[in-house]
Amino acid sequence: MATATPELDGGVLLKANGLTKTFGGLAAVKNVSFEVREGMIKAIIGPNGAGKTTLYDILTGIYRPDEGSVLFNNREIVGLPTHEIAALGIARTFQTIRLFTGMTVMENVMVALHRRTSVGMLRSSLRFPSARREENWICKEALGYLEMVGLEMQAQNLAGGLPFGQQRLLEVARALATNPRLLLLDEPASGLNAYETSELGEIIYRIRDMGVTVILVEHDMGLVMRVSNEVMVLDYGEIIASGAPHEVRNDPKVIEAYLGSEVD
Amino acid sequence: MESNRLQGQQGGRKIVRVCVNIFQHNRVFILLAVFLASLPFWSRAVSRAIGIDLIYVMRMVGVFTIVAVGLNLLMGYAGQVSLGHGAFFGIGAYTSALFTVKVGFPVWLSIIAAVFMAALVGFLVAPVLRLKGHYLAMATLGLGIVAFVFFRELIWLTNGNDGIRSIPKLALPGIKITTRKGEYFFVWIVALIVLALCNNLVRSRVGRAIRALHQSEVAAEAMGIDVSRQKIKIFMLSTALGGLAGGIFAHLQGYISPGTFDVLLSIELVTMVVVGGMESIWGAVAGAGLIIFIPEIIKAVPKWLGEAPKWVERYSLYEGLVFGLILMLTMIFMPSGITKSLSDMIRYRRNPIHNPFRKKVVE
Repeated sequence: MATATPELDGGVLLKANGLTKTFGGLAAVKNVSFEVREGMIKAIIGPNGAGKTTLYDILTGIYRPDEGSVLFNNREIVGLPTHEIAALGIARTFQTIRLFTGMTVMENVMVALHRRTSVGMLRSSLRFPSARREENWICKEALGYLEMVGLEMQAQNLAGGLPFGQQRLLEVARALATNPRLLLLDEPASGLNAYETSELGEIIYRIRDMGVTVILVEHDMGLVMRVSNEVMVLDYGEIIASGAPHEVRNDPKVIEAYLGSEVD
Repeated sequence: MESNRLQGQQGGRKIVRVCVNIFQHNRVFILLAVFLASLPFWSRAVSRAIGIDLIYVMRMVGVFTIVAVGLNLLMGYAGQVSLGHGAFFGIGAYTSALFTVKVGFPVWLSIIAAVFMAALVGFLVAPVLRLKGHYLAMATLGLGIVAFVFFRELIWLTNGNDGIRSIPKLALPGIKITTRKGEYFFVWIVALIVLALCNNLVRSRVGRAIRALHQSEVAAEAMGIDVSRQKIKIFMLSTALGGLAGGIFAHLQGYISPGTFDVLLSIELVTMVVVGGMESIWGAVAGAGLIIFIPEIIKAVPKWLGEAPKWVERYSLYEGLVFGLILMLTMIFMPSGITKSLSDMIRYRRNPIHNPFRKKVVE
């Protein structure tokens, strides 16, 4: 298979243990444990409402799990605020696009460089040489990320005015600009056409080649099968299968829960 | 030795370059500065013709520009409503007045104290920023009311409704500012510096962070921005500017009483920001100018007509009505404020394809 790199001897980057989150008695995520090794592309699939986005919200500190722990790079991150988790190196995109729509495409990426720069209120308002140096660096860096997803020509347009597919790409560029070690993509291909989806596949490879580990929540099975090293299937908040893509595809439980009779 | 001197020269040049840099890059800024500098040369003739003392009124415009810019950072850029900003203006005014009258501080030091006091109170009430939308609006409205009650009822400190009299006039170390023109220049130099710094700020890393959290707090957090910290910082900056303006105001007036710092003042400040234009530094100048000039124009009407009609005499009774109406009309017809609407119109004249009015109809 020409899909992903076969050698995955990287250490464990993320280790989730017994994660449980209930909303008013309904378990959105139930006793979920998994590992992500450095340098891999791991896909999480499952029907709508299976708890994938909730899992992301737990990993990024938006929700606090009722039980369980998450070790990122051997550090417990449950209980940390979202912005600190982001600073530690977990970036994400959103299923419902959350761009800064009133800002330009460029500015969206520039915002994401916040943590990698340090000039504060005083020096920015006085336009100290250090502030301008940093601003130049921010511009150059931001443009680099835009080029990576092919949006450099749109840099000065408002993010809210971009076509849908490009908004998704901008979310990816913005997440990458935080210089993450782990990138959580939340249905990046939804709403994209076939051509855009295959482009996205290439971009995901490029991200992996940059040394960023990727978790991919996705409904587009073609994309999942093509890019991922490992697939984990969630149903009603529980892991029902996990393993290499071709194993998972043939797992009768998965077929029943998710893929239905369409796969043969 | 030679190289030392050269370095010294370069260092000097560097400082000059830094100073130039603070003010560069804006045509509006230069136009405004030129206009303000030229005003005293032609103001006398115009003042006599229209019956409004331009220098006198423009001083107040300068003062309110400072608060309005601060409030615009908070409301326009960071998207956090404050309906109680009059409180910080009042805190600044009372702090500076009390420090000069009761403690005997020099005026410039008292104004600095006013800035810090307003920022400190801003810090203490910053937990309200956890509220969102209408809740924040209501909480800040309450803040304005509470401050007003404090000004009126802390009689041992503020003299209650009698107010504080004989507040010394503006002065810098070594310079006494005695004339109205002097006050005018002092106020506007401060205001222009504030404008330039805020204009730099909103175009910087910090400015982008606060605009981002305005649009999506969740996304801003996910980008590594400490949203609550940024909100507190911008709120304190905003209250500090309120305190600065209030401090200067007290020394211009020479007399302050609680009535000036009531809820209506906070509403006026919000009107300045909205009318001038949210997310617009120059909008604050336009908004402050408009809101300060309207009552002056109404008061000048009798001078034009020869005698004062009753509706002019009773202006103070329906002052709030006028501001409310302006606020409503702005929201309906120019929701992005006068500065943006005007620049849109100019753009339309140059390039009819970008017709802002047609766009509205289509939407």
